[in-house]
Amino acid sequence: MNWINAVVQGLLLGGLYALFACGLSLLFGVMRIINLAHGDIAVLGAFLVWSITTRANVSPLLGLALALPVMLALGYALQYTVLARSLRGGTLTPLLVTFGLSIVIQNGLLQAYSPDVRSLGGSAGTLSTGSWHLTAQLSIPYLGVLTLATAVLMLGGLQLCLRHTGWGREMRATALDSDTAALVGVPASAVYARATAIAVGVATVAGTFLAVHSTFDPSSGPTQLIFAFEAVVIGGLGSLWGTLTGGIVLGVAQTIGATIDPQYSILAGHLDFLGILASPRGRSLITRSTT
Amino acid sequence: MINSPEIPLSFSASRRSLLRALGAGVTGLGLAACGKLADDGAQATGSTLKIGFVSPRTGPAASFGEPDGYVLSLARKAFAGGLTIGGTRYDLQIIDRDGQSNPQRGAQVANDLINSDGVDLMLATSTPETVNPVSDACEAAGVPCISTVVPWEAWYFGRGAKPEDKQAFKYTYHFCFGVEQFHQAYTHLWPQVPTNKKVGVMWPNDSDGNAIRAALGPLLAKDGYTIVDPGAYTDGTNDFSAQIAKFKAEGVEIFNTFPIPPDFATFWRQAAQQGFRPRIAQIAKTGLFPSQVEALGDIGAGLASAAYWTPTYPYTSALTKVSSKELADGYQNEAGKQWSQQLGPSLALFDVAAAALRAVANPKDRAAVAKAIGTLDVQTPVGRLRWGKGPNGNVVATPILGGQWVRTTGGKYPLDFVLCENSSDPNVPVAAQLKAYGA
Repeated sequence: MNWINAVVQGLLLGGLYALFACGLSLLFGVMRIINLAHGDIAVLGAFLVWSITTRANVSPLLGLALALPVMLALGYALQYTVLARSLRGGTLTPLLVTFGLSIVIQNGLLQAYSPDVRSLGGSAGTLSTGSWHLTAQLSIPYLGVLTLATAVLMLGGLQLCLRHTGWGREMRATALDSDTAALVGVPASAVYARATAIAVGVATVAGTFLAVHSTFDPSSGPTQLIFAFEAVVIGGLGSLWGTLTGGIVLGVAQTIGATIDPQYSILAGHLDFLGILASPRGRSLITRSTT
Repeated sequence: MINSPEIPLSFSASRRSLLRALGAGVTGLGLAACGKLADDGAQATGSTLKIGFVSPRTGPAASFGEPDGYVLSLARKAFAGGLTIGGTRYDLQIIDRDGQSNPQRGAQVANDLINSDGVDLMLATSTPETVNPVSDACEAAGVPCISTVVPWEAWYFGRGAKPEDKQAFKYTYHFCFGVEQFHQAYTHLWPQVPTNKKVGVMWPNDSDGNAIRAALGPLLAKDGYTIVDPGAYTDGTNDFSAQIAKFKAEGVEIFNTFPIPPDFATFWRQAAQQGFRPRIAQIAKTGLFPSQVEALGDIGAGLASAAYWTPTYPYTSALTKVSSKELADGYQNEAGKQWSQQLGPSLALFDVAAAALRAVANPKDRAAVAKAIGTLDVQTPVGRLRWGKGPNGNVVATPILGGQWVRTTGGKYPLDFVLCENSSDPNVPVAAQLKAYGA
């Protein structure tokens, strides 16, 4: 029964990882940028939601709904003011720029919010601590189910939009070859701005769920970035459904590893990631990106 | 702490653009260094004594350094008139630096303070990541250093001392609690609530967790507690269902952990989801500061913790003549935030510093100052510190007292920490009896 519980908890944890990985995957897929500030943007979003939630005394989900437009606009602005310029500097510059951005966000938040840890779990009430008790050993938390459902909806919705809508086609065209797309009237900068806005928006959702799940402070971003990154690689770069699978594989690997011995929890996830890199698909990933 | 992941994608950037980027970075660093030199060079030297103060003000351990601004202002006020030592009046200057919760940065700021600023005495506080590299730099350079808020075993043995060493270091001294004080606190606190003496532990795979596993586990077992240890987990774990299942299966009634704050929040919420509810939840490392407990919401009240200083400590700072109560009230008025345990030991550092400088004929003589610290007897907010009484020549073991976070009624702050036992320092009043979690 413990094993069943481990798999169930892993699935639900995978939802959180997939949410974190979604924005990273999108930015890499469309703009070929590895956004090292992704975790910090998620934490920035969580702080905004926290501010709204505590000021207006509303539930975190409503706070998230109010924060999302702000964060989408911020993503838009981020592309036009920072990322677009850095993209012109070659492939290394965006990496350095996002690394710098991560430091700026962390220290800006520290200045504005102090190093106190915060959480949205308290204001979420039973959502954060309640569960369906199926048997003595098996409980399914409300929060986990909501996280996984959100992840499936977001990643699935984005994937469907990319496949079947006009702007999805524009985005795919720009991702494939931005110069040629521009020739037929699809301006890359506008597509990139949309992608960044969505990535920042999804990061905010991920940050909010993390904040309900645990606590956060200005330096919480980088620890989540590594899991998001692993989920992207396990699932295959640039594929959103793959990212969802990657997140779930990572989550289940961690909980099963922990059931064998808690020491192996994080390690099992890392080994999974290394296994993928060493596999033929991993090799093709590396060779594809060098050419 | 910034884990920039290794990225398995190569860059098609040319070597030239890489060099250009590197060059820009190096120039930036150089400029920053010049700016710093100019800034520090403006201070007049002469018969000025300089005290370096290193603490984590940013990064993951930043909550430790939060009250430092207030403590520094008290110390600067007390030193404003200078110090008269052996008939000579010395001006005093405190140079505070941020260790950024990072060992490399800690070592760097310590070396800057030693080599560029020429400090006569170094003070360092909070977590091995910040303190140990500073102490190491001082020992190597022959600068006297006083430090605190690192369990003394992690400071002493963590820096290469052997258990048989009577005094492993010549220049570096320390005051803090150790495993024995935790053991005292726990064995006096836990019997206040009837339990089956089964202790579920979550000790992480880091320096604190492993030290506690090796030292505290056997001590508790000797007192008749059954330790249920699922094994060392990695900091930053996001799921604890395996541990919770084990605790439930074993019928654990006491829970003890030394986690970082996000891990505890994740665990404690999951414990609520999965129906694990011990009678005593004893947390250390997290739960030192009110914000960490408030962040948990309803499930935070009733957690047991331990404190190395509270406003009820009946002691006064020798340097500033500020009592513990005044210290807490002053901080709450000045900063508008609830008191934090860090206030006591941070101010105590300056009490020891002043006493050390006064104890010698020539405070510029570093070896003499270092030697004098080894025999000091100082009154500080955390109690009377007497070097030379053990556990070894470099360390004074200070008390840590067990208590509980309880809801306040009608106060400005939602939670307060009340002491429930005083085994390591009977002068401190006990405020309440431990209540079962959720009672």
